[in-house]
Amino acid sequence: MPDMSAIVNPQQRQFNPYAENGGTILAIAGADFTVIAGDTRQSEGYSIQTRYAPKVFHLTDRAVLAVNGFAADGNMFVKKVKQRLEWYRHAHAKDMPLRAIARLIQTMLYAQRFFPYYVYNILGGIEEDGTGAVYSFDPVGSYEREACRAAGAAQSLVQPFLDNQIYFKNQTPAQGSSHPAHLPLPDVLSIVIDSFTSATERHIEVGDGLEMYIVLAKGRTLPDAVTTLRPQELPSSAGDGERVFVLKRDLKKD
Amino acid sequence: MSIMEHNGGSVIAMAGKDCVAIASDLRLGAGAMTVALNFEKIFPVTDRIYMGLTGLATDIITLRDRFRYLVNMFTIKESRAIEPSTYAHLVSSTLYSRRFGPYFTEPVLAGLERTPSGGFKPYIAGADLIGCLNFAEDFIVAGTASDKLFGVAEGLWEPDLGPEDLFETISQTLLNAVDRDAYSGWGAIVYIITPEKVITRTLKGRMD
Amino acid sequence: MDHFPTNWGRPKYDGFDTNATYPFHDHGHNQSAAFAGATQHTQQPIVTGTSVLAIKYKDGIMMAADNLASYGSLARFKGVQRLHPIGDYTVVGASGDMSDFQYLQHVLDGLVISEEINAQDGHTLGPAEIHEYLSQVMYSRRSKMNPLWNSLLVGGVKDGQRFLAYVDLLGVTYFASTLATGYGAYIAQPLLRKAVEGRENTLTEPEARGILEEALRVLFYRDARSINQYQIATITANGVDISGSLKLETAWGFAEGIRGYGSQTQ
Repeated sequence: MPDMSAIVNPQQRQFNPYAENGGTILAIAGADFTVIAGDTRQSEGYSIQTRYAPKVFHLTDRAVLAVNGFAADGNMFVKKVKQRLEWYRHAHAKDMPLRAIARLIQTMLYAQRFFPYYVYNILGGIEEDGTGAVYSFDPVGSYEREACRAAGAAQSLVQPFLDNQIYFKNQTPAQGSSHPAHLPLPDVLSIVIDSFTSATERHIEVGDGLEMYIVLAKGRTLPDAVTTLRPQELPSSAGDGERVFVLKRDLKKD
Repeated sequence: MSIMEHNGGSVIAMAGKDCVAIASDLRLGAGAMTVALNFEKIFPVTDRIYMGLTGLATDIITLRDRFRYLVNMFTIKESRAIEPSTYAHLVSSTLYSRRFGPYFTEPVLAGLERTPSGGFKPYIAGADLIGCLNFAEDFIVAGTASDKLFGVAEGLWEPDLGPEDLFETISQTLLNAVDRDAYSGWGAIVYIITPEKVITRTLKGRMD
Repeated sequence: MDHFPTNWGRPKYDGFDTNATYPFHDHGHNQSAAFAGATQHTQQPIVTGTSVLAIKYKDGIMMAADNLASYGSLARFKGVQRLHPIGDYTVVGASGDMSDFQYLQHVLDGLVISEEINAQDGHTLGPAEIHEYLSQVMYSRRSKMNPLWNSLLVGGVKDGQRFLAYVDLLGVTYFASTLATGYGAYIAQPLLRKAVEGRENTLTEPEARGILEEALRVLFYRDARSINQYQIATITANGVDISGSLKLETAWGFAEGIRGYGSQTQ
């Protein structure tokens, strides 16, 4: 049998509309706050394209979105989410609630079911009842609410560490005590920094910079241990509601 | 399906203060199907050296026997126990002798090396399937959960841990890593090697 | 000799048996898809330009590209300008397919006409706007599976702000104080980063020019699709300036000492 493949399938270089741009994102919910973080390196293959390309975006006074995967799709997706949130604001004279943003993101992702946005989304913020919340998505819109989630290049390095440190997996509480359901903010920030330090050490696509967004529930203030890190407060539309802060730091250079 | 992932399984070794630890899971699989929960992957080499082998189960058993033979020959010829650093190079050259048709295993070594002053120094090492040695001062990982083990170990390990703290660190690292790996888990076994004794502990793990 | 006239005048596909040394059943089909469907998407680049380099310096942005447009391995057009001014504040530098780049020049010139000349609303297009528009064009074309096969650098200065960004056929964008496309990303970018990072606000124009010239020279030595004629664009508060075609000084004396490189016969 002669090789018929050249006739049946005329050879053609197929254009690949996707790329992988590395990086890792992470979010952890507390009782009355949420931390959403991401590194700032953007790469393709072994090349670093830039050392500062944000992956975490401030959406509303109580919602922050982290986007990881194919950078062009990520930026376009964030642009379109922001546009929908602006339309909502004009129509209803208020910000969209977090759980509604989560459902909106599902719908927008699933709308591209047959030419997906190649991005993993993690949405963090404050729910209407004042609790911290994290929603994580796959590229075609499957989503769930969780207490913590890592995604991206170093997901496999970070997620089991989070299972251990946030969910206390494989740890038995001392007799007569129990594990806390939520950790305080300084502890959560330490775990986030440790996670990215570890990922930077062992994954070539993670590094350069770390951006941590902190969303605080209504009426809450930053503990002193966090204020000393000098986070920058982002302007909010309503003065008395939830507040968003950013903490930036360098990741190891070598 | 990669040959290195066919049977599943993971091993980790860590260095502590005057002690080392090595641990593995107990699963044996055939692709996604689990066929045994008591497949040990760590073997004693001398009183002070333990070796873990991940990868293809049949090669794990072959190499276990082969290295036992080679160590016996060394002991007879030299009338002394082999040192960890010597053994590491024995492993390396044995694997490299099959450079173009390798055994599909990644070995991990943990032992205590005799110092000139008569004391003991922690010694851990790893190798790839063709014997490229990796000497680390902190920890060595191998197997289907290696990326997860790297992440957790990098977060939990610290220098100069005593035997009990090292046991807790290596156990937590292994259990939390294999719980995120479909091809590893179903129980674990941990060896803590100190100059005086070797402590062996079997751990329960998630079975879902 | 290629006996299939429909292949004549087309770039050869290196992975295909152009000398027709294979049995009959295997050839004559490499171009069959070209006219098979009503529309053909997913092309490949035909006449291509190689690396574009750009850096930030004290007074603004400096961008450089050589003057070659290649046809496969043939140095086909040796006097092509790959740096294109848009409006009063911006330069776009292109690598990749030159016909797609000409189309983009047409689109961007049209944009300036409609947004600045016709509107006359006092608003002008700066580098940030040009880059945003360009990246939307590139992304929408990739989403139609019909990309414009280019990697582009956009540099400019407006309202005292320096701007330097990248966009490619996938719609991927990024910003940095040194940028390089194509082979330049591997060969020139490390040199540029070493020379520029941390010195963006102190590098003088001659220093910046020297850095780019040296990077272009290294590229000319190592990139087989490059040529020793180039242009440099400077964008400062005073506006856009694109140099004429300049010649790279190169030294080949070392070749004498290398067997197989110089003129030795033994």
